[in-house]
Amino acid sequence: MSAKPTIPVRPGHFPGPISLVLPLLLSFAGCATSPLAKHTAEFATATNAVVDDSENAYRAAVRLHDDEQLSAAVQKYDTNQPWDPHNIKHLIDARGLDARADILDGLKTYAQTLADLTSGQSDSLDTTAKSIGATLQQMSAAVNPDATATPIFSITPGEANAASTALKALGDYLISNKVKSAVPKVIHDMDPNIEALSNLLDSDITILRRQSGNDYEQLLMQQDTFIRKSGAELSPIERRAEIKKLGQIILRKEATDDMLHQLQLTIKSLAETHHALAVAAQSKDNASLSERIAELKATADRLSHFYNSLPTTTT
Amino acid sequence: MDATTSVLQNPATVDAYQAVYDTLGRAYWDASTIDAKDLIQGAREPIYDIITELDEAQLAANTTAMLALQSKIKDTNVALHKIKDAIDEITKNLNTATNVVSAISNVLAITAPLL
Repeated sequence: MSAKPTIPVRPGHFPGPISLVLPLLLSFAGCATSPLAKHTAEFATATNAVVDDSENAYRAAVRLHDDEQLSAAVQKYDTNQPWDPHNIKHLIDARGLDARADILDGLKTYAQTLADLTSGQSDSLDTTAKSIGATLQQMSAAVNPDATATPIFSITPGEANAASTALKALGDYLISNKVKSAVPKVIHDMDPNIEALSNLLDSDITILRRQSGNDYEQLLMQQDTFIRKSGAELSPIERRAEIKKLGQIILRKEATDDMLHQLQLTIKSLAETHHALAVAAQSKDNASLSERIAELKATADRLSHFYNSLPTTTT
Repeated sequence: MDATTSVLQNPATVDAYQAVYDTLGRAYWDASTIDAKDLIQGAREPIYDIITELDEAQLAANTTAMLALQSKIKDTNVALHKIKDAIDEITKNLNTATNVVSAISNVLAITAPLL
């Protein structure tokens, strides 16, 4: 985190108390984010990974199990065990997949809304604050139509920008107060639900790992049986290709298990991140000094970026 | 919950079946004749079916639990959107103040020649 020495603080252009406060705030500028915003951003990242990977994992596991049933049916087709293609049973039915998709979407919405609320970014506030400076300059131009005459009421671009920044600071303060007073309780109350959901997802993935492993094993046996019983009727090149598939099935089995194992670790990380978030959100009264400074720096950073984005010439 | 359901939902049950399935899998590759392999696979398939049934039952139980959780997550999202609305209201109020200044500016532009 480094200070930004090039911030264009323009002495003499800030009217009243803001001439003292704004340079002080701007001097804190750096790359800081508040602890709450940092945790919510991390949580949103972990959530996106879990949601996308879980949905892929469910789809892949269901498809694999369908493939296993089709392969088994091919093997049994000419035996005395009747096979009806309508009897394919999905590992997870449509209701189960919908329930999982809905809850994962809800989780994604929760994480994204939380990140948006705590980020301190408000485009509409920025627009409003920018327009107050522009309006003040228009007002100045309106009462001084003759540029050569002694001004009745004059506002320099620096003063207009200071007014915009002051309004932005006021808006940030009010929004921050609202977020700090309401969001921590929501996060705290949600924590047991996130833990319960993580446990359910972990249980699902444990089952998918076992079932996928077994489905691949069945596919392997069916392929091996096919080669041993019908391999003699294949050309050498065809037979070679079919034997090669045995190794490919094993490789896919291992890759699938690695992917699902990784997903389980991410789910665990999701629950831990949310718990850290809940603790950070609740620690208003005993926040460490460094956290408070980080919050202050985050505020200053946002204001500095806002101030630097304002035009420096008269509109 | 009856005794049968209790036994089937016990994780040790599926682990025990899985251990047999894995052992038979190793035996399959050790077997040197097609007949022996067929015999082993014939014993292995019903165990695969039992494990699949247990897995499907547990996934269905998880579905029920997820449906119960769904409403709690929806309620939380509603609470967060209320906070978002309150924040939008703050911005709206500041915007109103800006509009007032803008209106004054317009009046001044019109009346400036009289000042």
